[in-house]
Amino acid sequence: MFKDLDPILHSQLRLAVMSLLISVKEAEFTFLKEKANATAGNLSVQIQKLKEAGYIDVIKQFKDNYPQTICKITSTGIKAFEEYVKNLQAYLQK
Amino acid sequence: MEQEKKLTEQESLHLITMMINKAKESYHDTGIGAIMWGAVIAICSLVRLSEVHFKYRLPFDIYLLTLVAIIPQILISIKEKRERKVKSYDDTYLDYIWLGFGICIFLLIYISNNIFGEWGSWANEYKNITGKSAPFRFSEYVAPLFLMLYGLPTFITGAACKFKPMLWGGIFCWICCIVAIYTSVKIDLLLTAASAILAWLVPGVIMEKEYRMYKKEQAQLNV
Repeated sequence: MFKDLDPILHSQLRLAVMSLLISVKEAEFTFLKEKANATAGNLSVQIQKLKEAGYIDVIKQFKDNYPQTICKITSTGIKAFEEYVKNLQAYLQK
Repeated sequence: MEQEKKLTEQESLHLITMMINKAKESYHDTGIGAIMWGAVIAICSLVRLSEVHFKYRLPFDIYLLTLVAIIPQILISIKEKRERKVKSYDDTYLDYIWLGFGICIFLLIYISNNIFGEWGSWANEYKNITGKSAPFRFSEYVAPLFLMLYGLPTFITGAACKFKPMLWGGIFCWICCIVAIYTSVKIDLLLTAASAILAWLVPGVIMEKEYRMYKKEQAQLNV
């Protein structure tokens, strides 16, 4: 019996963001934008969805008088990502 | 990257692998700290060697240069942290390892100075009674203790960052540590300078070169 893949994660940009964040402690918005090759507007929307799902924490602060957004994966996010990869592997072994 | 594009299972797995690799490749140390410390320790050791060999003394202890070097190190660390767009788990652990190393070095200096203070009076007493110089010279064993410590964070950093020049630099420090147990103070100082050059200065130069190349690549990508 195969479980459905998490719809929050089964989307290209959100999965890219989660894959980047799972590998690091925290990352700036500009880093995610550059690595995921996304536009700022699109990335903001997807980050908001991940935040609402409780998968990531978003910290907004100022650095040298400029706004800075830092993203961090939460323990719920780690569990969801691990579950997603496990289900993905199950599908691929089918 | 398109919004809400649905992925096949194969594509998902490929994307995860690609992003994890991108995240891993994203951090490049500037190498400035390693260059500075490699140069400082090598200069201190070589100046002390010249003092011992040519029998002169500078009006100040050359190792005070290591204390002065802490100021630029703090400034370098602050600047690097500000410029860093991503913080990895390795960075946090390595920062603590190097901080712990710095504390251990100063504790070792403090312990050594205490032993020198005690041992000096015993050695003089021995000389006065027997007319011979003391058969054990603590100064011969100071360099191996420092070299042993130099090797530890260098080896861990090299292994954690998969940076072979530093990994081998750490191993070189430990080889020099063993050799220095059996050699004179002059050779010990030479080994310390060689260790600082191979464990920090050379890897630092390589890191700095790689960092400049990475920055150049990034600038070209952003054009």
